[in-house]
Amino acid sequence: MVKVYTVEGCPYCEKVKKYLKSKDVEFVAYDIEKDAAARADCIKLTGIDGAVPVTTIDNENYVLDFDKKKLDELLCL
Amino acid sequence: MGVYDFTVKTNKGVEKSLADYKGKVLLIVNTASKCGFTPQFEGLQKLYTEYKDKGLEILGFPCNQFAAQDPGSADEIQSFCKLNYGVTFQIFEKGDVRGETAQPLFKYLTAQKKFEGFNKENPMTAILVDALQKNFPEYLEGDGIKWNFTKFLIDRNGEVVARFEPTTDPADIAPAIEKLLFYKA
Repeated sequence: MVKVYTVEGCPYCEKVKKYLKSKDVEFVAYDIEKDAAARADCIKLTGIDGAVPVTTIDNENYVLDFDKKKLDELLCL
Repeated sequence: MGVYDFTVKTNKGVEKSLADYKGKVLLIVNTASKCGFTPQFEGLQKLYTEYKDKGLEILGFPCNQFAAQDPGSADEIQSFCKLNYGVTFQIFEKGDVRGETAQPLFKYLTAQKKFEGFNKENPMTAILVDALQKNFPEYLEGDGIKWNFTKFLIDRNGEVVARFEPTTDPADIAPAIEKLLFYKA
């Protein structure tokens, strides 16, 4: 399952979500300001607290940023 | 009317009177709430760590009025947001800092210390002025806050003694802070 860690008011998070939708990728978005467990998962993954958007498919490899090229690579688009 | 007459709300929603800071040197800053010009958070935190035991308090007021355009992204190509986490100084509730909708505290601060131009030596100035001209030309007029990380320095008696524009790095404010902390006027 593709996960996207986000916060409200983050334009790059919106761009990632929009991009994934345009590619018909199913994903679950977590707001790490509101969801403490998701925030902990996100920190575990990236080692950075509070930097978003983070996209992952296997909880191991991730893309921090709205970077189409890296997202394509990560998700084999 | 002075700085100590204002009451504001912390980011946890708790009311806080600025009179609680009487006797401290204060640096009041409008911070980016999440996504703009964020390197200054680090510089402010350094100042806080260095001087908090000597009597400095930094008060951060997140504001979204400048969020839509990030001048720093022009060459940094930073396309992520960083939360305010990681700073230990007090962050207050999000609110406006310029124009009709500005919080009373910022109306007061901008009336006390007017805009006197950007720091011409900072490479950020050209980028910022360019971004303002393109997106918010009206922001360049008058004394209103121009962008995130405008810093007001207040002495131990509550007097607003200086205003530093976003183009002044926090580290460059250290001498002015030291003067207020360590020397009597």
